[in-house]
Amino acid sequence: MREAGLRGTGMLLSMLGILLPWIASHADEGNATRGERVFQRCFSCHSVDPNEKARLQGPSLYRIMGRPAAAIRGFEYSDAMRRTGAAGLVWDAATLDRYIADPESLVAGTNMSVPPLRDEQERADLLAYLARSGQYRP
Amino acid sequence: MRRLLVALAVLAAVSASAKAQESKYYDLAKGDYPHDVAVGPKGEVWFAGQKAGIAGRIDQATGQIERIPLGKNSAPHGVISGPDGAPWFTDGGQNAIVRVDPATKEVKVWPLPPERMPYTNLNTAAFDGKGRIWFTGQNGIYGRLDPKTGDMKVWDAPKGRGAYGITGTPKGDIWFVSLAGSYLANVDLETGAATVYEPPTKDQGARRVWSDSKGRLWVSEWNSGNVSVYDPAAKTWKQWMLPGEKPRTYAVWVDPDDKVWLADWAANAIVRFDPVTEKFESFPSDHPGSNVRQMLGRKGEVWIAESGTERVRVIRYPVKTN
Repeated sequence: MREAGLRGTGMLLSMLGILLPWIASHADEGNATRGERVFQRCFSCHSVDPNEKARLQGPSLYRIMGRPAAAIRGFEYSDAMRRTGAAGLVWDAATLDRYIADPESLVAGTNMSVPPLRDEQERADLLAYLARSGQYRP
Repeated sequence: MRRLLVALAVLAAVSASAKAQESKYYDLAKGDYPHDVAVGPKGEVWFAGQKAGIAGRIDQATGQIERIPLGKNSAPHGVISGPDGAPWFTDGGQNAIVRVDPATKEVKVWPLPPERMPYTNLNTAAFDGKGRIWFTGQNGIYGRLDPKTGDMKVWDAPKGRGAYGITGTPKGDIWFVSLAGSYLANVDLETGAATVYEPPTKDQGARRVWSDSKGRLWVSEWNSGNVSVYDPAAKTWKQWMLPGEKPRTYAVWVDPDDKVWLADWAANAIVRFDPVTEKFESFPSDHPGSNVRQMLGRKGEVWIAESGTERVRVIRYPVKTN
């Protein structure tokens, strides 16, 4: 009886050993539907609509993935963002994640004044939402 | 003898100029990020530490800074001094109106109804003449809270997103501006209905608005670099461009003598505009990138939040005595 109990515990531990990393990795995966809700934090200054007509203070985030920083012609970026773009920053999941987590730490002097988004899952969801419009096309 | 008189005259002029205004800077903790600042009638100074989620209080006499956490996820954008002498915060992170009791430091939170919009990007607040606090949310709302009853109403802003600065007039009326919508609006204090007043400059990008003693509305225009004024009695607009190349007008506050104080990001300076002489006078920051988003004052003092340098600055200026 005791042996059966131990065997059961062992099986449970083995299953957890397989399942836990899977659960952990999938918790990190972004969910674009949830990300649309997180995008409310960006909504007042940014749009993902390619036909946006409003004059917003932030650049369009339509097809942001793969776009070099400060690349939209005619948009008035801060000097800091222009310098960072000229130095070679390209927006991808990793750089955007760092920027959203703490804008100042990546682009010191940026005009973007939103508080850091500290929740990793929310950042992952937001990035999944932003990626939905596709890759940058120059 | 003549040389001595000239030297004395020069010395007197320099001395008078030095006395004309003086600036003092208060260094804050790194990461506090003072978005807005307010001074109360007794000289108590509060700032909204947006990135740290705190209310900051500066003791003018000692320079000591007290930091009061406002709650989980707090990110206060605006702060004003209420008619009760307390600081009132528009807290984007908590999506709530927040009051700090100046004596006990008790924090009271009034969340916005989440079912309407979970994150409204709360901007600024102003009290009407009936003790109710009105607020804007940049995602496209404005609202009203009666702190006595807790009754809160939220309305959609005209033209959607962009509702930004808000002010109360001496009569107790409420006006707000829209950054993305580039308009000035007046609200009906009971029904909440907003009437839009289109400015003469298209896409001017109104950041903030402040009333003078006669109820005229002064607007800081970010996109155009103008300061403009709307006179509700005469139904007229007038505007002036700030000095320098490509000015960027962010904050506006009108002092009790009806001089208009503005923040110009391009010049990294505070600018005072005299509506009578139509002249500007500049008070640059002593650090680059001051990024002043808001200021508020009382007679003889204008308090300035330097979000870019994480400092609060005060300019003291001579006041007109009647």
